[in-house]
Amino acid sequence: MATTTATLTISSTDLLSDELALSTTATLTGAGNSTGLTGTTGLARKTVSGGHAQYTLFDGSDYTADKAHKLYLKNTSTTASEYFLITVNAEDVGRLYAGDWALIPWSAHDNDCDIKIDPSANDMTLEYMLFTDE
Amino acid sequence: MATTTAAVTLTSDLLSDNMSVTASTTCMKAGTTADGLDQIEYGFVEVATGDEYDLIATTPTASKASKLFVKNHSIDETYYIAITQNSQAIGRLYAGDWMFIPADFHDAAADIAITSNGGTNKIEYALIHEGTALTTT
Repeated sequence: MATTTATLTISSTDLLSDELALSTTATLTGAGNSTGLTGTTGLARKTVSGGHAQYTLFDGSDYTADKAHKLYLKNTSTTASEYFLITVNAEDVGRLYAGDWALIPWSAHDNDCDIKIDPSANDMTLEYMLFTDE
Repeated sequence: MATTTAAVTLTSDLLSDNMSVTASTTCMKAGTTADGLDQIEYGFVEVATGDEYDLIATTPTASKASKLFVKNHSIDETYYIAITQNSQAIGRLYAGDWMFIPADFHDAAADIAITSNGGTNKIEYALIHEGTALTTT
């Protein structure tokens, strides 16, 4: 069985009076079981030359519904104002600004549950990797 | 300016080339490198099976660079919370899983809600943001 882990650290010495030092690790397993996730797209990069428009990154109909898929995203831009708007199932989840990353659970619960990206500028590059529960 | 960093390490032996991906970001306000996110809502709740609850009770300023962390501290592998935003399914966090996502809160209906499944789930969450609209009394 493959083992995939995700470790998060959030730290700050001045956000609160008490130093923030949050750390947690998850072993990524299938829905309702302890078997490691079984597939991955591998780490990939996509440069979107066309700029502001919505593009489908992953199509919900291509993946088993209501599972424990996990998606890693990173905006590699170094221009602070540049962001990718991340949309899941036609809902604007959030803006991934320059240098930001995300780990998003994805249920792919039906054919409409696509993951889409909308870059705010031309020639922005997104790094991404999907771990699948098939 | 508050300085908050969020780092991730992903490791996997799914591929022949064992991967180890790391990324780190300083959580900045939208569109700037000069000012960090300076407000936080950090809590822990137990959520009984069945009903859907808004995880964030306040209304953060729309379309900013807010970051939301959620971890399911449940132990039973069949327990999970379903994450929805504006009533649209996003994903499931099973026991032990966590997520760290940008949170847009683009309008008053764009709440992030959780529904507990399998049993009572224990949920840790933190919203790092740049402002919320408090309810007047």
